[in-house]
Amino acid sequence: MQFIILFTVLVSTYLMVIAKRMPALIRSFRYQSFCLFLATLIIAIREDQLDLYVVAGSLFILKVIFIPQLLYRTIKKIKASEELGLFVNPQLSLLWALGFTYLSWVFSAHLIGSSDAVRVIMLAVAFFVVCAGIFLMIFRMTALAQIVGLLVMENGIFLLASMVSGGMPFFVEIAIFFDVFVSVLIMGFFVYRINKFFTHIDVNKLSRLKG
Amino acid sequence: MLIFFILGIPLFLASACLLIRRQKLLGILNCLGYLAVLCLSVILFKQIASSGLPKSFLGFVCLDTLSVFFIFVIAVVVFASALYSIGYINRDIQKGIITKQKARIYYLLFNLFCFSMFFVPAVNNLGLLWVAIEMTTLVSAFLVGFYNTKESVEAAWKYIIICSVGIIFALLGTVLFSYAFSISGLSKSLNWSDMIPVAHILDKNILKIAFIFILVGYGTKAGLAPMHTWLPDAHSQAVAPISALLSGVLLKTAIYAILRFGIIIIKGVGFAYFAHLMIILGVISLIISSGFILVQKDLKRLLAYSSIEHIGIISIGFGLGTPLACAGALLHVFNHAVTKSLMFFGAGNIVSVYRKHNMNAIVGVIKALPFTGIIMLLGLFALTGFPPFSIFFSEMMIIIAAFGKGAYSIAALLLLFLAVIFGAFIHHFGKMLFGNLPKGMIKIGEPLTGKLAFFFLSLLICLTVAASVFIKGDWVWMVQKLFLV
Repeated sequence: MQFIILFTVLVSTYLMVIAKRMPALIRSFRYQSFCLFLATLIIAIREDQLDLYVVAGSLFILKVIFIPQLLYRTIKKIKASEELGLFVNPQLSLLWALGFTYLSWVFSAHLIGSSDAVRVIMLAVAFFVVCAGIFLMIFRMTALAQIVGLLVMENGIFLLASMVSGGMPFFVEIAIFFDVFVSVLIMGFFVYRINKFFTHIDVNKLSRLKG
Repeated sequence: MLIFFILGIPLFLASACLLIRRQKLLGILNCLGYLAVLCLSVILFKQIASSGLPKSFLGFVCLDTLSVFFIFVIAVVVFASALYSIGYINRDIQKGIITKQKARIYYLLFNLFCFSMFFVPAVNNLGLLWVAIEMTTLVSAFLVGFYNTKESVEAAWKYIIICSVGIIFALLGTVLFSYAFSISGLSKSLNWSDMIPVAHILDKNILKIAFIFILVGYGTKAGLAPMHTWLPDAHSQAVAPISALLSGVLLKTAIYAILRFGIIIIKGVGFAYFAHLMIILGVISLIISSGFILVQKDLKRLLAYSSIEHIGIISIGFGLGTPLACAGALLHVFNHAVTKSLMFFGAGNIVSVYRKHNMNAIVGVIKALPFTGIIMLLGLFALTGFPPFSIFFSEMMIIIAAFGKGAYSIAALLLLFLAVIFGAFIHHFGKMLFGNLPKGMIKIGEPLTGKLAFFFLSLLICLTVAASVFIKGDWVWMVQKLFLV
């Protein structure tokens, strides 16, 4: 079961890397978050801990329902183009992603020694998700895509924490959720402002401050 | 117990902003509140430093000498900034740049920002430490974008995105630390007070990689080059009292976080690893900042790059790691916070009179603003490390420690770049401070509270000089206590 979830996470991340338009990106983000929710739920059922149920619940509400909805609404409201503005075209992005997958596998095998194959795979997927997040942040030009990239990175770290080290302490987990929630709200607010002042959300063209 | 008052007062003041409508009253209330915080932090420092042992309260707060030192530094700069804010915000309202409603929002954000900064050194849990530092970014992003111009919104966006990404790496590092802790078969915990005693049995490989993530993450927030790109934008666009807070103490909270993990790393992996990374980043920061300082045209950006330089010096100081060097670095944390706040306040006065950031367009400051001009002239010498001022002593301590340790190349690099930066500063400020008034400019005075803030900071600079001359032994003793917990 765990492997199926990990595989789905991997696939949804690939979908994000090759997405050309904003709605597709958000949809794949939703799939990915849902997988994380399932993974947490399974651990919660297995260990029968109330804390983990709460974490899974808040993950579902926040990342599967609320944040994607907020992003969809923002796209509609600012009426900006839905194109992501690719620096790197989808085919090349896919190659990059494959490279990242391999590298994160090598890295995690190096980190914990290849004796423990299950752990290595988990770690590799988590690192890959983080790398994909960085990739999205660097090679996509709109401000909204950068927000999604940040969220993807955060998802990767959540995966790492829950699968590898058995999760962070409960209240830290909740505090981090709260933090993510607030940061998305604030970034959304600034996207509105950028759109208002510059009439676009292409961060590549934000170049008034230099030197 | 005192720590809860220190954390409570900013929250209380923040809620007062929702209730009280008159912004002048709010400003004064702010000042009194932070004066109380300053006094409390001094008492707390005495208590903790004299016992020397970490003291924990209610599980999530744990204080040792390092944390109370940083709380003290934050309290000093926050008080000065609250004092300066009264006059600055008043003037902005009179000029019609902001409304009274917005002034209330300013005070609300100011207090929340201060609360999150005080929270950083107080928490024991490394996960909550991360949350607190991310909180400082989120709150201060509004203060960077406060004036709602194209430039300030752009700066705020870059600030929030670069710092969030940076800090995500720090979270990754924190998770790896907790992983190292969990596979060693100990009970799950993220408290630094639990990690330090067992650091030597943790997996060295994982700790090493985790620390690189931590350094990249919190280093972004601290403004260490090459992750510094958000810093000049944010510092130059923020409201002047906030620029002082950003540069004076926000960067230091990130340094505090690095040190917290650093202590674990030193115990777990060994000192050389920590030292190399810190020194490399410090030297890169020095090189990059000195280049940008030489060619800078914008006054506030110049000061921002100078912050990167000083953070580099601090990081080299901790990297050298002898007691004298660490004492110098800690002293430098304080000196830089005080001096740089002074300079940013001065820059705030200049910019609000000349309405320009460009240094070529600013001439004759001493004639237009005699008080600010003279203070800036003194501050300039203090900031670049001229002998009678406090920064000279802390820089000297670091350089002497480098020679003492045999790290001649590092000492030489430090001296070289300090000389370059000194020259550049004299060049830029000489043109700006002296000369005749531009046409159509009339001589205007500064508000009283602004002057008080300057006096307070100058007094501290002088006091530190006295302190570094007379109780040098005590500093080294304090540092030994810090790192031998």
